[in-house]
Amino acid sequence: MSDFDPGRRRFLGHLGLAGLGALGASSFLSACASSASGPTTGNGSGAVTIQSNLSSPQAKAAMEKLIANFNAQGKGTASLNTIASETFRTQLPTYLTSANPPDLYTWYAGSVANDYASRNLLLDVSDVWKSLGDYPQSLRTLSTDASGKQIFVPMNNYWWGFFYRKSNFAKWGVQEPKTWTEFLALCETLKGKGVPPIGIGLGDTPWVASAWFDYLNIRINGAPFHRELLAGKQRFDDPKVKAVFTRWREALPYFDPKGKAYPFQEATTALLAGKTGMFLIGTFFADAAPKDALGDLDFFRFPIIDPAVPLAEEAPTDGFFASAKTANPTGTRALLTYLSGVEAQEAYVKASSGIVLPANPKAKASDSPLVVKGKAMLDEAKELTQFFNRDSSDALQPTADTALTKFIDKPDQIDAILREWQTSAEKVFKG
Amino acid sequence: MTATISTTPVTPTRRRRRSARLSPLLVAFVLVPFAVESVWVFWPALQGFWFSLTRWDGMSPPTFVGVDNYVEMAGDATFRGALLNTVIWLVLFGGLSVLGGFGMALVLQRERRGVGFYRAALFTPVVFSLVVTALVWRVFYQPDGIADTLLRAVGLEQLIRPWLADPQTALYAVILPALWRQIGYVMVLFLAGLKAIDPALHEAARMDGANSWQRLRHVTIPQLRGVNAVVLSVIVIDSLRSFDIVWSLTKGGPYHSSELLSTYMYSTAFQSLRLGYASAIAVVIFVLALAVILGYLVRAFREEA
Repeated sequence: MSDFDPGRRRFLGHLGLAGLGALGASSFLSACASSASGPTTGNGSGAVTIQSNLSSPQAKAAMEKLIANFNAQGKGTASLNTIASETFRTQLPTYLTSANPPDLYTWYAGSVANDYASRNLLLDVSDVWKSLGDYPQSLRTLSTDASGKQIFVPMNNYWWGFFYRKSNFAKWGVQEPKTWTEFLALCETLKGKGVPPIGIGLGDTPWVASAWFDYLNIRINGAPFHRELLAGKQRFDDPKVKAVFTRWREALPYFDPKGKAYPFQEATTALLAGKTGMFLIGTFFADAAPKDALGDLDFFRFPIIDPAVPLAEEAPTDGFFASAKTANPTGTRALLTYLSGVEAQEAYVKASSGIVLPANPKAKASDSPLVVKGKAMLDEAKELTQFFNRDSSDALQPTADTALTKFIDKPDQIDAILREWQTSAEKVFKG
Repeated sequence: MTATISTTPVTPTRRRRRSARLSPLLVAFVLVPFAVESVWVFWPALQGFWFSLTRWDGMSPPTFVGVDNYVEMAGDATFRGALLNTVIWLVLFGGLSVLGGFGMALVLQRERRGVGFYRAALFTPVVFSLVVTALVWRVFYQPDGIADTLLRAVGLEQLIRPWLADPQTALYAVILPALWRQIGYVMVLFLAGLKAIDPALHEAARMDGANSWQRLRHVTIPQLRGVNAVVLSVIVIDSLRSFDIVWSLTKGGPYHSSELLSTYMYSTAFQSLRLGYASAIAVVIFVLALAVILGYLVRAFREEA
């Protein structure tokens, strides 16, 4: 999710458009259609080109190190292209459909990858998976397309949870809640102490609200229903979806009212400064946290609402897929095999700053208590979901942003909001 | 152009013969830019019209759906909201920047001590990139930011709200920075126009006993007709293409309350990947701009004729 961060990176793509003006914009649209040209590197049996959206300084350096290591092994050569994340997102369809595409791409597992696979744009990497026999079944399923072949190689995943400062919870004399009732009681206690209990950051990063929707839905209706809903097989105006919002409404009075106006990075600052009690967020938020605060951070899993629903957690998985049109499938598979190996995954975890879990079960994650706890939480889960946009599509995400921010503002209008959501989702599914 | 030359009376026969044979250089000057424009502007623009009649996700080939996109548009509440917001934007942003820019130009046209400083100060926002402008204003509007501090200082804290996150205020909170920038630009255009007015006209009017209001109404404003056409075109085009400032402050949100046609077009195209519908919105924007500007030009030409 850290890479789906419209706030900062979307600028790049957009400014170019803004200058084009009204008619110019339609020419921009058509330019995509008429000239599907991609980068022209990575031909034949030469270097494998890897197109990377990992553009934050640490992640970029980590990728550069991996590619340098691979090239030093002499099993092939690869060259890395790091692209600003938002440009990458908007250009990805163009890359994949161009006549001479780059070979390998960083991206997300799940329905986004499956959608490209259904258009025959992705390389079959089942060969690579033969050497990944010890990977958990959940990751294998996640990387398999509708026709049963593997099209994705996971690199790492991370988790979402309610993060808080241990020192603050101690100061307020409160404990981690396990159930929804305990959670609401905790909120009430914090409110009584004059602290806005639940931090959120919707200004500029409205997609953060989707975590609440995802979690409430997988806790109340379960992960299978959630996936079907996001795939367009269930309706947003279904009473089961309304039940999600009825629960959410119980917690709404405890949200930090300022959270509507600032992005999740500032919500992080507010949490660390003790201006909010806790914050439902993915581990990437720690990128914006000062190093000395990291040791004081802890988290608890989203409280259980219905114990009968199998436990599911959000664990967005990042990794790679390759173009079906690559001129060098052997080299591409060799690079993928290297990237999925223990050595590469450990090197990546060490060099990158984020709190991530390597996909390879033999690779050692960081041994900080936070990471150990996160890994245990995911291992305990019966089902893993990705995140709203990854389980559906980037196209469906804005419909959720509209519906959820409106609900937080006007919870009375929930029926109308869900009807609108269904209408706009249908438009996205219809294309 | 050749026609005007050939009508000049000096040695008409020789001139006419030469003009019949076009200079290859002249042809090149016309055709090369035309060819470039055709490839990069006209042809894609025409394609835009075609795409507006299709359903297209940017990956599979577009499928022809006739006027379905326009039919959908008629029933699309978000589109209607964006259209209304665009009209509000055109009136407020356009109107206030003309009034403000013209007023500032009148005040600052006389050469006085320090006037250069004020002109430069008003023009400075134009120099900043819009993204920088947006960042500055975001700090201004943020919770407990400068706007809130100012209101508290004068005892109006009951007015405080999340300016950019409140659907009641978001659009106006975005118009303000846009105006802050545009007024300086329009002022410079009017200053240039005012400088070009022959001072003798004002002197003659003064001799005839015209007061300053009459001189403004009957001398200055009519003399600015040429500049007005430029200002109007600039304002209309800038209003309809206003995108960057809105996108970087609110992205059209919260829930479409500050959505303009331009931001709706962008999010439809590049977030929802509905490029056919987005092209239809682009066509509407084009028609609107053309209608407003043509309307003015036709009137202006009729007055001149």
